[in-house]
Amino acid sequence: MQLDKQPVWKTILYPLIAFLLVIGIWWVSVIAYDIPRYVMPSPGDVWAHILDDHVALWIGFRVTFKEFIIGFVLGAFSGFAMAVAMDASKTVRGVLYPILIFSQAVPIIAISAALTIWLGFGLAPKLVIVALVVFFPVVVNVLDGLRSVDADLLRLARSMGGNTWSIFRHVKMPATLTPLFSALKLSATFSVTGAVIAEWSASTSGGIGAYLMQANSRLNTSGTFAAIAYLALLGLVAFVLVIAVEHLLTPWRHKPTVPRWSSRFWRN
Amino acid sequence: MPETPIPKLKLSGVSRSFDENLALAPTDIEISEGEFICVVGPSGCGKSTMFNIIAGVLQPSAGRVALDGRDITGKAGEVGYMLQKDLLLPWRTVLDNICLGAILHGRTTRKQRAEGVALANRYGLGDFINHYPAALSGGMRQRVALMRTLAMHRDVLLLDEPFGALDSMTRMAMQKWLLSVWAAEKRTVVFVTHDIDEAIFLADRVVVMSPRPGRIRDILPVTLPRPRGRDVYTSKEFLHLKDQIMTYIYDDGEATDAA
Repeated sequence: MQLDKQPVWKTILYPLIAFLLVIGIWWVSVIAYDIPRYVMPSPGDVWAHILDDHVALWIGFRVTFKEFIIGFVLGAFSGFAMAVAMDASKTVRGVLYPILIFSQAVPIIAISAALTIWLGFGLAPKLVIVALVVFFPVVVNVLDGLRSVDADLLRLARSMGGNTWSIFRHVKMPATLTPLFSALKLSATFSVTGAVIAEWSASTSGGIGAYLMQANSRLNTSGTFAAIAYLALLGLVAFVLVIAVEHLLTPWRHKPTVPRWSSRFWRN
Repeated sequence: MPETPIPKLKLSGVSRSFDENLALAPTDIEISEGEFICVVGPSGCGKSTMFNIIAGVLQPSAGRVALDGRDITGKAGEVGYMLQKDLLLPWRTVLDNICLGAILHGRTTRKQRAEGVALANRYGLGDFINHYPAALSGGMRQRVALMRTLAMHRDVLLLDEPFGALDSMTRMAMQKWLLSVWAAEKRTVVFVTHDIDEAIFLADRVVVMSPRPGRIRDILPVTLPRPRGRDVYTSKEFLHLKDQIMTYIYDDGEATDAA
């Protein structure tokens, strides 16, 4: 439960060292092998490009972030609802599970092209793609969580007078939080990829994905790398956001006592 | 028996079969108010089946269960029960877990919370009401589980090997603690165990059960004076009872595969 009990400076320092190491090796290789800038720009070139075009990059970042966050929340909630429905009814489960698995066999890129035809070039197709990326892992994990609740516990709750709703609210739903968040952590970075793919099929939104595609088609390698850097940052932000929300919603996993802000009770 | 008072809990002709197998042969027992009954027997003697039928979570094939003369056959929620697994909600505090019954009914009132706090204070959990179960030891978790059962205000408590997963020292402390709770709360207790010492130490009467088919072999009254202390274990009556129960369980030649 408490794996990361190392001091804070270590948890920050180690990734920082790794990051600087990668940048360093990249920079040295570019100089040492005399690689032309249009093939592989140095970190300095990329940085210069970012400083030069930071307004457009920042706008792109915000656009893609918006696609990610709305689609992500949408996918998480609909996946959760789907899992609850599948847990409640055997028929629903039997009918939907094959469809669900089949839908996963279709490559996202293929769906993305079709979605552009159906939903146009706006925000909608991006949201659907991102939501689809999150949807499947959430359904599978939440369904798993719902079905692994101890049958004795459910029997006890029923004998204590719980009805279907109160048992769901107090016993089953909280049990899904841990598997739900492992699904969300997995799909956080993937759904950024989803947003980029969606932007490639219909690139009028001005997101980072579209920026990357434009820079690439002009052989603007520095621009491409700048976009990649922003996308990496976006993935990181997505991941950290999920972890932060998880930390907030599952205090019992890392604290011995209830946090003060959620305590509706008193001490003696 | 028209002149005797209505028993607190009464099983008449209760039996249960699973497919072709008779798990519990027709069983009759009367338990009076405030009595502490222990049920011992090897695996497969039908004690869990009987437990589940009384708890109302399992329908008997025949017979009826009555509480204060009222038919409660197959009705869950009429008696409080507790298992070897503490079944505490990890995301709820100790106090919340104690008040779980009220929480499941909707909102808990201030009075119900105060009562939960009072229970926790009275039985040694006062400093832990805001803790999550993960921060507690096994013995403490079982105490919380019993508090949760007590807070349900049921006259009859069914306990199915509640201390079975604890180490033997903790278990002895918990037995003494349980007796003090029972003396203070004046509830009727049916305690299922496979530990003969535990059964004699706790009970007013020990119900010995045998397998194939599961049935009551004998019911032995325990007249050891209360409150009971450690010295009970070495008393003559204790050893005599233990010998008798062991004879039932081991010498009937039916427990060879019980382990």
